[in-house]
Amino acid sequence: MPDLSVTLAGVKLKNPILPASGTLETVDTPMLAGDLSQLGALVNKTVTRDRRDGNPPPRVWETAAGMLNSVGIPSIGIDEFMKGGLPRLRARNDRIIVSIAGFSVREFVELAETVAAAGLADFIELNLSCPNLESGVLWSTDSGLLAEVVGGVRRAVNVPLIAKLSPNVTDIAEMAAVAESAGADALGLVNTFRGLAIDVRVKKPALGNTTGGLSGPAVKPLALYAVWSSYRRVRIPIVGMGGICSWRDAIEFMLAGATAVAVGMYNFVEPGCMWEIRDGIDRYLAENGFNGAKDIIGLAHRNQ
Amino acid sequence: MESNAYTRTAIVRTVKNAPAGYLDLTIEEPAIAGAARPGQFVMLRFGRTLDPILPRPFDIVETVGNGRSFRLIIKIVGAATRLLESVRTGDEVRVTGPLGAPITDFNCRSLALLVRGCGAAAVIAFLQEARRRGIAVHSVLSASSASKFILRDEFAALSDTLILATDDGSAGEKALGTDVLRRLLAERKVDRVYSCGGGPFYLPFLEEWERSKISPVYLFLESYMACGFGHCHGCAVPRRDGGYSLVCRDGPLFRLSEVKDPCLIYQ
Ligand SMILES: Cc1cc2nc3c(=O)[nH]c(=O)nc-3n(C[C@H](O)[C@H](O)[C@H](O)COP(=O)(O)OP(=O)(O)OC[C@H]3O[C@@H](n4cnc5c(N)ncnc54)[C@H](O)[C@@H]3O)c2cc1C
Ligand SMILES: Cc1cc2nc3c(=O)[nH]c(=O)nc-3n(C[C@H](O)[C@H](O)[C@H](O)COP(=O)(O)O)c2cc1C
Ligand code: FES
Repeated sequence: MPDLSVTLAGVKLKNPILPASGTLETVDTPMLAGDLSQLGALVNKTVTRDRRDGNPPPRVWETAAGMLNSVGIPSIGIDEFMKGGLPRLRARNDRIIVSIAGFSVREFVELAETVAAAGLADFIELNLSCPNLESGVLWSTDSGLLAEVVGGVRRAVNVPLIAKLSPNVTDIAEMAAVAESAGADALGLVNTFRGLAIDVRVKKPALGNTTGGLSGPAVKPLALYAVWSSYRRVRIPIVGMGGICSWRDAIEFMLAGATAVAVGMYNFVEPGCMWEIRDGIDRYLAENGFNGAKDIIGLAHRNQ
Repeated sequence: MESNAYTRTAIVRTVKNAPAGYLDLTIEEPAIAGAARPGQFVMLRFGRTLDPILPRPFDIVETVGNGRSFRLIIKIVGAATRLLESVRTGDEVRVTGPLGAPITDFNCRSLALLVRGCGAAAVIAFLQEARRRGIAVHSVLSASSASKFILRDEFAALSDTLILATDDGSAGEKALGTDVLRRLLAERKVDRVYSCGGGPFYLPFLEEWERSKISPVYLFLESYMACGFGHCHGCAVPRRDGGYSLVCRDGPLFRLSEVKDPCLIYQ
């Protein structure tokens, strides 16, 4: 039996499969397709300081092998989250990633301090890349802002930090390096790609918020390259995501350099896919004679 | 909230192409059929294609075959439903369900119902339960023409009164569904009004009726969906008191006075 565990920024995960933020509701949901405690970690849908309703509909639009979303982070606000959401999330897995988004460096810092003070998070993920918030992607497309926000949070808290970056840049490895020097302990690569669809029946943009973020298998090669190129540039571990639907996709991301992998939109298509992917990785490792999941992280670079 | 929904590979037991442009399917999946309650739907995927990739929502019309199967009526409109046209008896489909908030509130003695087109699929299980509880049902079934009625026999069996209305006069009255409903409501008092289908065209009258406070109006809503089970927040409908409800989790049935500008996809 191969050892599925991996170590992400000093924290051991029982396996490398995680849900991507915003794609698996873990509390108050009408359906769970599997045992949440069997995933490597759980992550909340990004929480903001204040309560937010999210964007007007339509919020989702199917595209070839993918989808655009302009959900826009509906959030119960950090106070409610700390009281209800986080303790309940905590009860469902031994590893918890808390995803936060602020509208200023100060807000990011305050949110991180609130989360850290409660001592219930194993990681804080900075969502620096939501294309559906005004100025959402700016945090990781402007290297000055990126250094400022990651540095600011780093100085304020000791919890391991994951910087989740936008792929909407010329060279994501460059931004990965900026996040690393500013003190990020890990990278989340990638968030959605900004995109557009037009509804020809009504002859206007299909989404209520005009543009949206593209995800799903359509973006997989782009996301995989982001992981590949960043792995060559930085030493901190990477949580890879973008279009993962099968164990084969997950293995590709790990071979390209991801320490853990997250599944997003495919949870909507096959709600049980994360557990199947975990079993598939297990089989792959056994069949290929590996002792554990760690052994394949970045292996494609060494085999080149 | 406890979950009793499942994702399963299910077998298509019967396929009928009637009326033209629609599929009438029976799908065998005992766990889903057994758990289904009035007002619920499934997310269905055929062929595991990448394009279309998302499953599609379809109402569970009724449970059949000793509770082991359920029936769907599907209008062929676009990529995924066209793909379904090639479904044959014995084929496998992926289904997640039952989804949506079951209708549990049958606290009334009489109801009026306005249905157009595929909206019929959403209300049969609800009417079966209403009848079991002795609720009087007065239905108005509207369609563009006689050949476009869906589940007409079922409505006839489940309604105390049934009025047919067509746009072209080829069956029943040549009249708008809302005009027939207006007359029906003037002639007899009902405790509640339900409506399904008809896109945005029925809204002005329904809103007028709701404002009259004579009897409350309930609406079966549609929305674009990605997951169907409350995870993506894609199916939001604005609430009158601010914020959004999720059609897949809080609906599909809503009190009209609770929602604002419901996005009614017109096919
Ligand atoms: C709760 C619910 C119950 C439904 N029940 C039925 C039913 O019993 N019978 C039936 O024929 N139809 C029903 N519909 C509508 C059905 O889901 C759409 O007609 C179908 O998704 C169209 O898919 P398509 O690929 O053929 O069309 P396309 O137009 O190519 O679909 C493109 C995109 O639009 C979405 N979409 C298009 N129309 C609708 C719509 N009306 N509602 C939601 N999403 C839509 C699709 O999911 C997809 O993302 C229901 C919709 C909802 C929300
Ligand atoms: C409906 C939806 C909502 C999302 N919400 C968030 C969010 O709240 N925070 C975040 O960091 N990423 C969010 N994402 C991005 C995903 O976490 C992930 O980075 C992206 O979808 C790529 O993975 P995928 O191709 O597997 O979906 C969302 C994605 C989708 C499709
Ligand atoms: S369709 Fe995903 S939340 Fe309703």
